[in-house]
Amino acid sequence: MNELRDVYITGVGAHLPGPPVASAAIEDHIGRIGGRDSALGRRALRWNGVETRHYALDGQGRPTTSNAAMCAEAVRAALDHAALTPNDLSFLATATTQGDYLVPGHGSNVHGELGGGPLELASFQSVCGSALMAAKSAWLSVRAGEHDIAAAGASEFSSRWFRPAFYEGSALVDAKGRLRPEADYLRFTLSDGAGAVVMEPSPRPTGLSLRVRFIDLISLADRFDPCMWAGAAPETRADPLSTWAFSGPLAAHAQGAIALLQDFELLKRVIRAWVGVYLQKVEERRIEPARIDHLLCHYSARSLRTEIEGLLESTAGMIPRDRWFSNLSTVGNVGSASIWVMLEAFLRSGRLSPGQQVLCVVPESGRALVGFMLLEAVE
Amino acid sequence: MTGVSDVLRQLTIVFTEFEGRLEQTPLIRKLTRGRFDLADYHAFLIGLRQQVADGALWMSRAASNIGETHLELRSTLMRHAVTEHRDFRLLEADYAACGGDLAVIRGAEKNLGSEALSAWMFHEASRPNPFGLLGAMWIIEGLGSIKAAEWGRLVQRRLNLPDEALRFLLYHGENDVEHIKEFEAMLAMVLPDPIVAARIVKTARVTARLYALQIEEITGD
Repeated sequence: MNELRDVYITGVGAHLPGPPVASAAIEDHIGRIGGRDSALGRRALRWNGVETRHYALDGQGRPTTSNAAMCAEAVRAALDHAALTPNDLSFLATATTQGDYLVPGHGSNVHGELGGGPLELASFQSVCGSALMAAKSAWLSVRAGEHDIAAAGASEFSSRWFRPAFYEGSALVDAKGRLRPEADYLRFTLSDGAGAVVMEPSPRPTGLSLRVRFIDLISLADRFDPCMWAGAAPETRADPLSTWAFSGPLAAHAQGAIALLQDFELLKRVIRAWVGVYLQKVEERRIEPARIDHLLCHYSARSLRTEIEGLLESTAGMIPRDRWFSNLSTVGNVGSASIWVMLEAFLRSGRLSPGQQVLCVVPESGRALVGFMLLEAVE
Repeated sequence: MTGVSDVLRQLTIVFTEFEGRLEQTPLIRKLTRGRFDLADYHAFLIGLRQQVADGALWMSRAASNIGETHLELRSTLMRHAVTEHRDFRLLEADYAACGGDLAVIRGAEKNLGSEALSAWMFHEASRPNPFGLLGAMWIIEGLGSIKAAEWGRLVQRRLNLPDEALRFLLYHGENDVEHIKEFEAMLAMVLPDPIVAARIVKTARVTARLYALQIEEITGD
């Protein structure tokens, strides 16, 4: 039995489609329900703090690329950053919320777009947390000696699900033509893009690499119902036998069981549960806030409510705000891709020095999951 | 690991685990899944009433067992007891405001969980210097400042009740950000001390478990 190997992130890549889109132009890309501006949009933007984002739909709502193609672009960029090519890759793990196809898995389609020869594949579907599921799979593959060059990619094409056709003619739109807030909020929160990392058993010959210290994923789905979901109407979402496929796609659409939805009341409880999991990690000394030099949190610092920040301070769990790095406000919330898009910008920012620790936190409201990844800069 | 912030961290973990357990109880599942009816709300108020009535009593008993070395803590507990000792009347008024008969809520027996919770609280409060009860206060006051308003809003949405029928849940929901600061000050009166720290956390765990049992035992069927 071989020893477990140290594993390093040697390349990071991001792919953001098209030019940055300002808030005022959002509905040119994702469309207007019943031809009217959303009443909720501005409020959602204040809450999520996003100022510009990218769409793989042009200003007339036409697609410019696919979800799989964006992921392949990000994997190529990460390989290029590591001075490698797709031909060097022997393991690919992918993550997305909703792939281009219902079947087969996103991973197969990303490999199709990437080319580069036969490789081992893992395809993860969840929400934001799927990025770390794929990363853990790549990390363990290299760590165990199964592969020497592995990539973990994540991508989202959320905007196509925000087009009017996903809502019009469904129970999600009321008699006055207004879309339910559970649906409309997400239209102004999520956008498109991809990110990827390359992992190897030795650091880059030059420049900084990131040694992966651990990747922990904790699901709390044992206690919470779906909080952000697609495939069930709001009223019946806890019943798996009421999900979309049982009534067929047409009836399911009419019931509002196809669109992506978020339960805000439940989200508040899920946020507290994430804080509990984080504090448990602090309690176990798995995470030592004082030793974290940089925090990359997929959750917007702006939307952390003041009482939660106060709670983190009272419990010696707060990582000071000047150590938080985020580009969420300029690149948007790209779901599973966000953490890699953020890491890529962070590495370019020049803030990282050898020996420093970087904590990545990826909460997923889907059904209450949270992931942590601790990285250490080595030269 | 026995200072105020360490104990607060452990207590926060206990509370979030407690919330997860509450989420899985039949009554709260009904509430969050939209299957909660007026009979459930009546049962909920009846279930809470006995324990709320006991709250100020065990707190007073605890205060009477706090020695002269901790007079400030004794004063704080006594003030808390005074503030809260009539709260169960609010519950009764809510019950009556949504069609319940006062004789029923006043005459109801404690359920199994309430019996266990009450016995545990009075047992702890009867010990000399029962500082562990700070852990119990964290759980019970956390319910007041965090869960009550949440539940109140859900009940109101499901049942379309007027505010007069929800004053206990909504009034407790007046979330005071000062709440944690005040609690930190109380912890600072007895910490750092490893034995007290461990007892506070243990007491919070037991109280949370028994409180959840109380909710598990409430059914409107």
